[in-house]
Parts: sequence; C-alpha cells; structure tokens
Amino acid sequence: MENIENVEPVVQEKPQYSSIRYAWGAVLAFFGVSSKTHRASKKRAKFVGDVFTYIILLFGTFLMVYPFWWMIAASFADTTDGANATQIIREIVWWPNKSTVESAFMSSHKGGMFWNYQLFFTEGLTVVNGSFTFWRALLNNLIYSIVPVVVGVITSASAAFSFAKINWIGRNAVFYFLLAAIMVPGPSIMTAQYAMYKGLNWQENGLVLIIPGMFGSIMTAFFIRQFLFGLPTSIIEAAKIDGAGYFRIFCGFILPLAMPAIMAQGLLSFMGCWNNYMGSYIMIPDTSSAVNLPHAIAKMDGYGGGGRYASINYAAVIAGSVVCVIPVMILFACFQKLIIGSLMLTGSKE
Amino acid sequence: MEDSIAVNEAVSEGEAVVEEAVPQKKQRKPINQAKLQDNLWGWIFCVPLIVGTVWFVYICLILAFLLSFTNYQVINGGDMFKYIGEMGKHIMTNPETGASSPFYWYSYAFTNMTKTQYPMNELGAYLFNTVFYMIGIPIGMVLSMFFAVCMSRDIKGGNAFRVLYYLPCVASTISIVYTFKLMFSQQGVINGILGLKDFDNGGGFQWINLRGVTDITWNSLIRSNGGSPTSESAFMNDPYWCQGIFTKLVIIIMSVWKGLGGTIILYIAGLSGVNAATKEAAQIDGANGWTIFWKVTMPDLYPVIFYNIVTSVIGGMQIYMEPTLFIGEQYITSGYVSLIQVNGIKAGKSSQGAAYGMILAVIIFVLTMFQFYLDSRNKD
Repeated sequence: MENIENVEPVVQEKPQYSSIRYAWGAVLAFFGVSSKTHRASKKRAKFVGDVFTYIILLFGTFLMVYPFWWMIAASFADTTDGANATQIIREIVWWPNKSTVESAFMSSHKGGMFWNYQLFFTEGLTVVNGSFTFWRALLNNLIYSIVPVVVGVITSASAAFSFAKINWIGRNAVFYFLLAAIMVPGPSIMTAQYAMYKGLNWQENGLVLIIPGMFGSIMTAFFIRQFLFGLPTSIIEAAKIDGAGYFRIFCGFILPLAMPAIMAQGLLSFMGCWNNYMGSYIMIPDTSSAVNLPHAIAKMDGYGGGGRYASINYAAVIAGSVVCVIPVMILFACFQKLIIGSLMLTGSKE
Repeated sequence: MEDSIAVNEAVSEGEAVVEEAVPQKKQRKPINQAKLQDNLWGWIFCVPLIVGTVWFVYICLILAFLLSFTNYQVINGGDMFKYIGEMGKHIMTNPETGASSPFYWYSYAFTNMTKTQYPMNELGAYLFNTVFYMIGIPIGMVLSMFFAVCMSRDIKGGNAFRVLYYLPCVASTISIVYTFKLMFSQQGVINGILGLKDFDNGGGFQWINLRGVTDITWNSLIRSNGGSPTSESAFMNDPYWCQGIFTKLVIIIMSVWKGLGGTIILYIAGLSGVNAATKEAAQIDGANGWTIFWKVTMPDLYPVIFYNIVTSVIGGMQIYMEPTLFIGEQYITSGYVSLIQVNGIKAGKSSQGAAYGMILAVIIFVLTMFQFYLDSRNKD
C-alpha cells in the first residue's frame, strides 16, 4: 500500500503541437479522419466515406454506361453525304455533329429520323445473300435461342433431379464422368465437330446451333443440382407413398419448386445463345440463310473492316448493334433480381 | 419379465419361421420394386445429358485426337468416320520427303515460321498474343475487388450499381467491339481525352486500323501524327511489336470493361459470406480498416479469388471473338484459337486444326494443374 502511495501520480502531459498541426487536425476531423490532435466522430467518418464511395461508384457507372450512350448516338449519325461520312461518326462525343434527327426536320433528306435503322432493316443484311433480310436473321436468332434453351434446360433439370434425389447404382461415377467433360476446351475439339456436322449436313440449315443444345449442358445441370439439394426429400417420399411415379414427381413437384433456378439458368443461356457469334461464324457458312444476327452484322462490317458498310455507312452497322443489344437489355432489366440472385448463389460468372 | 420372455419366444419363433421361409424364396429371387424403379428412372432422367455429353464432347475429343495423325481434309469432303476406320491408310505423310510421319502436324506447329519481313515462330506469336491478353486478368481482379468493397458498404442503391455494372456482361460482344473500335479511332473520344487527336490534319494516334490492314509501324504512326520518322530500329518498325501492342491494349481495355460486372458480383457474394464476428472482434482489438481487409477479409475470400483465377485463365486461353472482330484473323493480334479456326476450318485442313487443338488442351490442362499445385503448396 505504501509503495503505491509513494509513487508520484503520473501527470498526463498533453503533447504540444504547433497551431498549424491543430488546424490541420481540425480539417481532417471535419472530413472524418482522426488524428493525434482531434478525434473524428464515427458518424462523420461514415458520412464522408459514403460520399467518397458514391463519387467512385458514380464515376464507374459513367464508364460502364457511356459506351452504350455512344452506341445510341452513333446510330443517329447522318452519314449520307459520303465525303465526311466517316469523320462524322468517328468524332462523336455526346451527339453527332450532323444527326439524322436534325436532317429529317431541316433539309430535304431522303431518309427519316431512323434512317440508319431503316437501312439496316431493309438492305443492310443483304450482304449475306440476296434474299436475306433482317426478319430472317431475327427469326433465326429467336429459334437458336429459344428452342435449345427451353429443351436443354428441361433435360438438364431432369438430369439434376436424378443426380440429387434418386439413388441409383453408379450415380456418382456417371456424375463425375460428365463433370470431367467441362475440362475439355471447346476450341480443341472444334475441327472434329465441324467435320462431323458437315457429314450430318447440319450446317446449311442451322441445325448445328439447335440440336447440340437440346441435350442440356452439364454446368446448368450442376447448378440446378446444387439448388435441388436444398429442397427437402420428404416431399418426394410423401408423393411416392401417395402413389406418384418419378415422372409425375418431376413434372408436378421438381419443375415448379426449382423454377427460380431453372428460370435463372434458362435466362443466362438465352443471353449466351442470343449473342453466340462464335458458334455461327465457325459452324455456319457465310452465305447461308441460317446465319444468326450477330454473324450477319459482323458480315456487314466485313470481319474487321473492309466490308461494304464499314466504308460507306458505318452508322447502319452501329444501328444493327443497337438492335442486337436491345432484346437482351430488356430481358435483363425485367429479370435482373432473379439473374443477379442466381449469380450470387451459384458463384458463377456467366 | 414374463412379458419379455414371451416376446423373446415370439421373436425366436419368428426367426424360425424366417429360416424356414428362406429356402423357398431362394428359388425365385425377390425383386425390390422400389430399388428397381430408382435405378430405372435414375438412368432415364440422365440419358439425354449422357448422350449429349458423350456424343458432342467425348467422341469428338477421341476423333480430334485420332484426326491429328491423319491427312484428313474436310474441304475435300469424305466420311470422317469411314476415314478414321481406315486410319492406317491415311496416316499423315511429310509433304517434302513423302515419308509417313504421324506427328508431322505437331512438329510443323513448333517449327513453322510466319511469312513476314521479320519471321518468328507462328505458334509462338499467337501464344504470345494470348498470354498478353491475360494482363487484363489481374487488372480486372483488382478493379472489381475495389468496386465490390465499395458496393458492399452499407449504402443506399447498392443493388442499382450492381445491375448497372453488370450491363456490359449482358451486351453482345459485336456491339461492344464496334463501339470501342470507333471510340478508339484516330478522331475518336479517347484520343480527344488523351490529347492525341490531331485537329488540324484530321489525323491522330492510330490505336487500331479500321480498315483491317495492320502493317503499321512506328514510323508510320509518327508520320500520321505529323512528325518525321525517327526510329530506324527493326524492332520498332515490326508491325507485330508496334501496332500489335497498341491494338492488343485496346482489346485488353475492352475485355476488362466487359468482364468487370461478373467478377464484382462474384466478389460481393464472397464478401457477404465473410465472418462478421471476426471482423468485429478485430475492430474492438483496434485494427483499422486496411488491416481488417488484408488479415480478415482476404483469407476468407481466398477460395473465391482462386476460383476466379482458374476460370479466367482457362477462358483467357480461349480468347477468340474480340481480336477477330477488331481487325480480323492474323498473327499480329489473334489469339491461339485462331490457329485452329484458320487452318482447321477455313483452310479445311482438319488434321492440322486438330493437332493445334490437342496442343491447346495440353497447355490449358498443365496451366490448371500448376495453379492447383500452387494452391496446395499455399495451404501447407
């Protein structure tokens, strides 16, 4: 006890700082940063952090959205007068110097406000072959992205149901056998596939983009299987006791219950098939009427420049690009919650 | 007690009955209906996927492997299956010596030089392009981690940002490519921002040649900017090293921009799974945000990052669409897959394409295994 009393009380000496440092500390504290002189309040720190976060995120959003705005602006460029055609479309920052919107009202212009779109719809895609029109391309694209996706998702879901909820001999062996297939890179078997499809005569009529997709995909099956593991098995057992067969269980219980997962996977594969330039470019001949929309637009550009439209009216190519992007954008806007939720759940990028 | 004895007796009686019944049942094997149903329907539900995978992946893999030793040309037609059946007759022959050499296309791949002013190994040139595009992977990862951390803060409208950043992932590649191509043109927005636009002469820095011609050298770039040619070195005047690098840079910027959203969502999902209790404990112990991020968040995120690296490298090795759509297929910018497409499909030499494909499969397999090896060493 004595010892403690004898010890001199420690005087906490306030460290002396220069007045400039105090002022600086006050400024920092105002912006939510604590220093040796001032302590910032937590609320202030959070507020300032939020403001900075918003600034960064809004800047990022601008970078993400600007090319889309540029695309729309460029599709309204008036490139009909030939001489300055390429300059007008290349110099766009916010809006073309000479746009079809102004030309339609101010001068005796041969086209209307949507001249580039009109050009794209009517004669643009004749570069593929004489009788090819935009509507044929759109029909092709719809067939290529609806038929294989709907059928493929159902076959994938049935396989997923079998892997997740039915006990059969060799189930795991078959599952890993199928899963190993994703290790095989697509391009390395491309030539053999090409020769096979040519032998089957699937290329000129576009069956090459329909039939392989109808057998389902192992990644889709894998994600739906993960989802089905979360469903209680007791539902299936109850249905079995009540006398339902497996087919009935699949149609009546599994499909409706797994609908969120099936829809999300279906939408993602729809977008993949809609934008499937590579499949069409590699497998379908250039002049066939079975090419899909991205392939036809790429042909307008002449594959990396030099095409008829690339040199004369690039705005029509960009108008085609806008037309190609709009359907998936609308679909994504409608189902963004489902799609993003599914991506977060499965942890996949596509 | 009496009851239990009675029960025991009943059980033993029951066992006796079973023992008696067994020899009778052995004559006709009992079929468990439920198990039969399980096995039957299990297979039936799987059949489409099994058929599809075996047909379009495994059979094609075997065919491609066998084709790479033959001289099959799809352009001449002919039934491939019959060809493979009589493989012994159609082994690839060396066109110079006429001797049979099944590995001709493999050795050709490693010895063939580009037919240009400054020749280099063709496979090496394409492979260098592919690896060069992979610079985008770490850049994209750092950027998306940064944005993901920003978005997972407790702010209003986080979901809206998520959706907006995912937009480029949804858009089709061709639309994006044509937009970027024009934005990076000589008179384009990017040159305007960077001050590389030549307002007087209507020129500017040439990132990409929009006409698809790629024989642009350092001297011609200088000339297009109104200067006089300066460099005499062969290196700077080789289009592969001069124009190629700038065009590849544009493609990297585009790929990073397009792929950012998907990775951000991946990381947000990972960040929401980080243990909040550990974070709070670290905060109470006096760790600042930076330390918490590196010492608590990052170790928890490691599986997500590893998955992302593996898939990005596999996807990056297969880059094809972007360079092709930018300036077409040639050795200056195209990725490895173009070798398969140009030789195996456009020129119709399926066997050569298949050989290139097998080399690609081996490269990807080795890279993936190497990553898993690093991962296992990291864990020890």
